[in-house]
Amino acid sequence: MKRTILLAMCVLVAAGTAFAANPLPAKDQVLNIAQPELSQTWSPFLGGGHVARWQSLWWAAPMYFDKEGKLQPYVLSKAVADSTFKTWTLTIDPKACFSDGSPITAEDVKGSWELCAVPSTKHARVDLFLSGVVGYNEVITGKSKFMSGIVVKDKSTVVVTLSAPDPIFNQKIATAMIPPVKISQARDANGEQKQEWWHPKNKVVVSGPFMPQSMDLDQGIVVFVPNPKFFGPKPKLSKIVVTSVVDPAVATLMLQQGKMDAHTELITPTIIEDLGADFVSGPATAKGQHFWFGVDKAPMDDINVRKALVMAINPADLAKAAFPDGPYQLATQILNKVAGVDPAYENYKYDPEGAKKALAASKYKEAKNLPKIMFVGISTPTHEAAAQYIAEQWRQVLGITAVEMKSAIDTYSGPDQKNIQIWRDDVGTRVPDAVSYLVGSIHSSSGNAKKCLGGWKNAEVDRLLELASTKAVDNPDRIKLAQQAQKIFRDQYLYIPYYYDIMSKWAMPWVMGMEKNDDWQVIEPWNIYITDAKKK
Amino acid sequence: MGRYVLNRLLRWIPSVLFILLIVYALVFFGAGDPIKLIFLQAPGDVAYDPVRIEAIREASGLNRPFLVQFSDYVIHILKGDFGNSLVSGRSVNEMIKAAVPVTFSLGLSAIAIIAVIGTILGAIAALNQNRWIDNLIVGFAQFTWGIPVFVAGPLIIVFLVLVLKMDVPFGWGGLFSPKVIVPLIVMGLNPMAIIIRQARAGVLEVLSEDYIRTARSKGLPTKTLVFRHILRPVLTPVVSQTGLLVIGALNNSILIEKVFGLPGLGRLTENAITRSDYPIILAIVLIFSFVVMTSNLLVDISYPLLDPRAASKKKGED
Repeated sequence: MKRTILLAMCVLVAAGTAFAANPLPAKDQVLNIAQPELSQTWSPFLGGGHVARWQSLWWAAPMYFDKEGKLQPYVLSKAVADSTFKTWTLTIDPKACFSDGSPITAEDVKGSWELCAVPSTKHARVDLFLSGVVGYNEVITGKSKFMSGIVVKDKSTVVVTLSAPDPIFNQKIATAMIPPVKISQARDANGEQKQEWWHPKNKVVVSGPFMPQSMDLDQGIVVFVPNPKFFGPKPKLSKIVVTSVVDPAVATLMLQQGKMDAHTELITPTIIEDLGADFVSGPATAKGQHFWFGVDKAPMDDINVRKALVMAINPADLAKAAFPDGPYQLATQILNKVAGVDPAYENYKYDPEGAKKALAASKYKEAKNLPKIMFVGISTPTHEAAAQYIAEQWRQVLGITAVEMKSAIDTYSGPDQKNIQIWRDDVGTRVPDAVSYLVGSIHSSSGNAKKCLGGWKNAEVDRLLELASTKAVDNPDRIKLAQQAQKIFRDQYLYIPYYYDIMSKWAMPWVMGMEKNDDWQVIEPWNIYITDAKKK
Repeated sequence: MGRYVLNRLLRWIPSVLFILLIVYALVFFGAGDPIKLIFLQAPGDVAYDPVRIEAIREASGLNRPFLVQFSDYVIHILKGDFGNSLVSGRSVNEMIKAAVPVTFSLGLSAIAIIAVIGTILGAIAALNQNRWIDNLIVGFAQFTWGIPVFVAGPLIIVFLVLVLKMDVPFGWGGLFSPKVIVPLIVMGLNPMAIIIRQARAGVLEVLSEDYIRTARSKGLPTKTLVFRHILRPVLTPVVSQTGLLVIGALNNSILIEKVFGLPGLGRLTENAITRSDYPIILAIVLIFSFVVMTSNLLVDISYPLLDPRAASKKKGED
């Protein structure tokens, strides 16, 4: 009898715990999302922007990373490399299908990836995923519409040949940024994207858990409903309404009133006060914000000036200026949240005297000889506070007074646009890999090196990272080489470390299952639901 | 009159072409091309690859010389085609077609309300000069004149939602939807001050005229005096302000439509400017120019109708 009572109590406690961890869903399972722009295109091939943040709702990725960072099959059931890591065989899940019930084929995968690379598609990040494929350069420069490195073996098998070994190609394609679409619907006779093929008025078929029911692009209202033919778990939401609410103050009020449940990206100085810390909370992500020096512009072409500018900054005070109420994670090295963060990395030290000496050792000798220093990317009050702290430190320590800061490059007038020396921008990785992180940040081929670092190129850094890229994921040399490259970069004083990002959920507390990946997309949209807490 | 209107219309052609040329040159040489902005404004790991950007510019026809692109654009406009958005690829004609009714119906309604209420309030203030009601109306006009739209809009929303606990007036449900009331108030507050002051000054001026004194001495009822003899001459300066109100309404629409989520030309303009999407910017500039020129023409035509002295003066000059 006692045992029975004990068992019953255990069951009750377990049920109670489960209830507390997973609050009951509300009857009305409609998710209202505020979109901070008037999105005029919902093409799945944008490669970024606010529209892409909701791409996983209606497009199934080739593969995906789950909440624990483990690679999971999705459209592709398998991605297997040969021993050279240059040939990958991708197998499509036989259950994978579009919303009309037709199967996702190898032709769809090949055609979709080629379409991503065609110049007129204007995909912003295709190079991150497919630049290693043989024939990519011909397509990206408009010389061809087809990639010779993607071959359809049969209806459900694609063989991809890479120009160099890439042991993490399967991780790179685990993103909804390059989703397989029904290619006969998306591509025209010229091999380019058909106009508004993704619009429900053109009877688009999709592969994700939801499908668009209506899109009023002029009003800025897009409605999604569950895809009855979805080949994954059944979605819990009955409807998703994405409404364009451009003004952040209005969006905040609508969230407070419960008219909206989530936001694509809301950054205001009083966000925690207005919507609570839970709204912006989230796990750390492999992404860091920094101030980058463009070495092709004076005075950043002089390492002593760079050294002086870095040493004049107290990292702790910088973070305090930007986030007086926290929470923040102070940045040091480039790498974060991936295996390979260097424990022996020597952080930049705050050393005002050293900074003065470095400036005196530069070809400019004194602050009065330096040209005006211009920042760009100072687009939020947080960044403004940080940049103002930096400018004030430079004034106090080095005597630099000519500093200007603006939000975007086009806000500088003509000649100044070409002379901007400092970019506030983020770097990160979409795969949990140190080499990929650094290749996208400091390798000369990266957008960051070309844009923010002013075309900075170091042959040794490039060599080390290229060598590391060829090593298998479980080979310790892969990380060792990456750390060596990061050390060389560190000694060049090319950036002021700022902070590491977190993946904010930007959803009210009653929204569950909104965990996001490094593409800022919901990892498992079928798990989103609204709890009864909304009524309260 | 017909010849005069025709002359004015013919003068539009070079004006419009000149405006287009200036705006085209500004966006072409100034803010930069939208393709570069896609890559420059995007954060983080977007590869800024000049070779690729050039390929995209070529695919979009943006690598051609300025004059070739401009003349191509003008030819398309003459055919009634504003082209496609450089960012989204959507037809600009379709976007404009959807946005124009919203902005125009809202703007015209606001102007009508401003003109009618402003004139009435101005007349009441003048007829009660230096009394409390005059002070109240003039004080109200001074107050609203001092609050720009970009302050009034968010403030009114915050007041309605946080103080009165009302829903955020957001979105478009047609001109007769209750959602439109607050945007109309915000749109009208500031310009109404001009009309009130103009109407008040006009009525005060007319009140000191000999014929009003004569009419009063003949025992004409106040109602007849006001509506028949005072308001009509006052309308001329009020109508002349309407041209300026149109420009103000178009300017204000950019902010009001953004704040209240109205799918009109203003929101479209803001969206296009931030992306340097110049087919849309140019189409909107063209429409705004057309509206401003038309309103000026209508104001000119209406003078002789409202004030016979203007017609006879014109005839005498001719």
